[in-house]
Amino acid sequence: MLRIREDRQSLVRRIEIARVGVGAALSLLAVAYWFVQIVRSEYYFNLSENNRIRAVKITAPRGYVLDRNGAVIVENEPAYTLHLYRREARDLDASITFIADLLGLNVDQVRYRVDRGRRDPEFVPIAIAENLGLEEVAAVEARAVEHPEFAITVSQRRRYKHGGSAAHALGYLSEATPEQIKSAGNIYRVGDWIGQKGIEGAYERLLAGTNGERRVIVDSHGREVSEANRLEASPGQNLFLSVDLKLQEVAEEYFRDKVGSVVALDPETGEILALVSSPSYDPNWFTRRVTSAEWTSLLENPDRPLQNRAIQNMYSPGSVIKPFLAYGALAMDLVDPNAKIFCPGHAEFYGREFHCHKKGGHGLVNLRDAIKLSCDVYFYNLGKRLGIDRISEIASSFGFGQPTGVDLAFEKSGLVPSEEWARVKRKARWYPSETISVAIGQGPLLVTSMQIARALAGLIEEGKMPTPHLFYSSQDPRTGAQLRYKPEFRHAMALSDEKLAIVKSGMWAVVNEAGGTAFGSRVNGLEMGGKTGTAQVVGREAVVRAGADKSKLQDHAWFAGFGPVDHPRMVVVVFVENGGHGNLAAAPLAKALFEAKYGTAKPPAGPPAPQTRAAARPATGIAPASHRETP
Amino acid sequence: MISGVLPRSRRLDLVLLGCALALAALGVLFIASATTGTRYQGLASRQGIWIGVGLAAMTFAILFDYRMLLKFSFAIYCATLLPLVYLLFFGERIANVRSWIRVGQFQFQPAELSKIATALLVAYLFENEDDSRLKPATLVKLGAIVGAPMLLIFLQPDMGLVLTFLPLIFVGLFFGGLPARGWIVIILVVAVLAGAGWFLLKDYQKARIGTFLNPDSDVLGSGYQVRQSKIAVGSGGFSGKGFRSGTQSQLRFLPVQHTDFILAVIAEEWGFLGVILVFALFAALFLRAMTLAETARDRGGVFLVLGLTGMMFFSVIINAAMMIGLAPTTGIPLPLVSYGGSSVATTFLGIGLILGVEYRRFANA
Repeated sequence: MLRIREDRQSLVRRIEIARVGVGAALSLLAVAYWFVQIVRSEYYFNLSENNRIRAVKITAPRGYVLDRNGAVIVENEPAYTLHLYRREARDLDASITFIADLLGLNVDQVRYRVDRGRRDPEFVPIAIAENLGLEEVAAVEARAVEHPEFAITVSQRRRYKHGGSAAHALGYLSEATPEQIKSAGNIYRVGDWIGQKGIEGAYERLLAGTNGERRVIVDSHGREVSEANRLEASPGQNLFLSVDLKLQEVAEEYFRDKVGSVVALDPETGEILALVSSPSYDPNWFTRRVTSAEWTSLLENPDRPLQNRAIQNMYSPGSVIKPFLAYGALAMDLVDPNAKIFCPGHAEFYGREFHCHKKGGHGLVNLRDAIKLSCDVYFYNLGKRLGIDRISEIASSFGFGQPTGVDLAFEKSGLVPSEEWARVKRKARWYPSETISVAIGQGPLLVTSMQIARALAGLIEEGKMPTPHLFYSSQDPRTGAQLRYKPEFRHAMALSDEKLAIVKSGMWAVVNEAGGTAFGSRVNGLEMGGKTGTAQVVGREAVVRAGADKSKLQDHAWFAGFGPVDHPRMVVVVFVENGGHGNLAAAPLAKALFEAKYGTAKPPAGPPAPQTRAAARPATGIAPASHRETP
Repeated sequence: MISGVLPRSRRLDLVLLGCALALAALGVLFIASATTGTRYQGLASRQGIWIGVGLAAMTFAILFDYRMLLKFSFAIYCATLLPLVYLLFFGERIANVRSWIRVGQFQFQPAELSKIATALLVAYLFENEDDSRLKPATLVKLGAIVGAPMLLIFLQPDMGLVLTFLPLIFVGLFFGGLPARGWIVIILVVAVLAGAGWFLLKDYQKARIGTFLNPDSDVLGSGYQVRQSKIAVGSGGFSGKGFRSGTQSQLRFLPVQHTDFILAVIAEEWGFLGVILVFALFAALFLRAMTLAETARDRGGVFLVLGLTGMMFFSVIINAAMMIGLAPTTGIPLPLVSYGGSSVATTFLGIGLILGVEYRRFANA
């Protein structure tokens, strides 16, 4: 024992040093913890809050779209998406093969999506498959215990109940483009769906509603544990269109195998009752992401299904322009409606021979007869008297050459030629012989169906032109509060009642008198007036485009009609591409539409007709409950 | 050896024992907090069983004469190396490491026992070193004794466990009386070896050191653990978020929170106060043990206490520094507190040995 005590001195000294070292080390650590826990406490506290609290968007249910009678056209349906939570997966490869097996998916495709998703933080779930069927959902749910890494989320998907019906009026949804996100002031985020074209695009804000937000507490897997608070979404407004599905269906049926467009509107308000552009496409394709085959079929179709022919394609109006010129000449007092002109079937102007469509000629015709018979020689003479600038003034007065202001995007203006236009824009002087062509709706004059519909509404309403629109009313799905559209008007040149009666009488005769160019389309029990038109397909470009298909060189057929003549309630403009003569190709649809609108029975007797519009029904049960989305 | 000794001369140090028990109890409490409602549920009671095993081992160590253990320390040492060799060839890989022996549903790390055995052999080495200056021959022996298990464990490979042997070398050098010149040489040699060792490290080990030096470089990989642990510690603030109310731990943002990161759970839920409590208990334990070392009956006892204390101290410092990103994540648990049967049982065995040295201070065996 003594032996041991001998050298304790230096050992004890070292232990004392070590004792200080131990104390110092623990004190230093305590200081370090003090720094992290006291000095930097707030910083780390915020980080921990960010960790656990995640803002999750509550997508507002998009408003339904209904026709004027309350029939649902566009609704929402649940869509099931399969997500993979990486942190829950023990063996990612095994998970991939499992799910590919279970749902019959392509393993490489699944792996590709997983690899792509790896760029995101681990808590962000990776979408593996969209639009699962109910059996697939059940299959995944049944294995939820063994495979907690897979989760099904429900979201709302747009459903266009009638497929391609009224597609061009409705538009479609697709992911917002970067430009759209920017121009909307960043209310949208990448990946958000947004209305494109049609009323989906035009009334995006109204339909979309306001998204809500939930602040949820999540665990490290990103799984929701509980909810901290929530700001409810306000659902989008239900939108009633002025469209009458009954008429729309009749028009679409007629265009099943034709290319062209139909615009039917209420001349008093501009409400569009039917709007067809054929060929059409199915907006549901976009909702579930267009497949590349579908996309190619849309793009490669020479008839351009995506284009809205009623507002985006410009054509020569043909003889449909004649009543407007007659109206204008009467308003300017440049024609005596009773004065007769002799039509021998042809006439010479400025050293060129112009033909009437009737080889033998119409003989002596006054203004009314000229409209009824669509006598070209009469209008050659009228055109010559007016001159191109007055024709331009009349056309512009009826809104040609300008967009109609319809509530659809990408509307074309058309073209109204004038001497100034020839000088400034065409950079080739105006030949007087061109005026003769324009007088029967050929030449550089270009119009859209929508413009004709609006102008015709203006013509029969003594110059009061309504702005065409699809919006009928909107309704808040929660309160039922409605917002009605207020018609807007522009005024064409005025015309006295007696003189207008002459023009309308001529148009009535077109349909109702023997010899009228659309006599075959008489509507039993309803006084329809109208005007046929034939637009020649001319120019080398058209020939090249037509190629071997000679039918593409056939004339386009127009018919612009209204009825009942005494108190018009509907204007119909039918355009059939390469349809031949308006009488045969276009007018029968107008007849069918009037028959559909009034049944085959007599129209309401005497003006003013009772309001037949059905009041917009409150849409109880239409709005889906707000739903949750995945974080 | 157990009987025939005056009762008054036998003293059990209740302060040291109390600190150890308090820390183990804290551990069970927070293992429960960290695992309730997870697939690890039930580990708290399992830890309780291991503490019981540890206490039995401790009792045995107190009652058994440590001088006897020192005498046979070489045999014990060799006996504990055998399973390490066995593991290298037949070990079952768990978490990529061959360091576990499975007995029934319990797993045991033989390396933990080897730590105790090595401490015993080191103490026995210095038992007969009277000189106040370290002899070169002793230095070589020390290196061989500690180096052998380190190498075997390095091959498993479990870096955290390898490192826990280092304090034995330090204890031998420092308390054995290595002169200043020797320290300089050793520091130089270590520096060179560290450079060479870099090439021997596994990729994941390099990655860990890399993320330690720059934690933000890999926020979702290795850096994730450090980052989440720092957030847990920092967000605890002064008094914590409350028991079972830590968002980082309860929502599982903390990795392996019931084992290596248990201190972060305490720091988050009991705040700075909880951390100080843990540090204070450890400080009391270590300082008390060093007092015991000073008064030990013989040199072997002194070195045994110092070696065991040194290893424990080293683990505490590295683990606590790891929580706040001051040390790389090496997989070193917090002694007595972290979940881990072998660790807690052998730590109690070590504490038993320390108490045994004290217990026999005046004994004449």
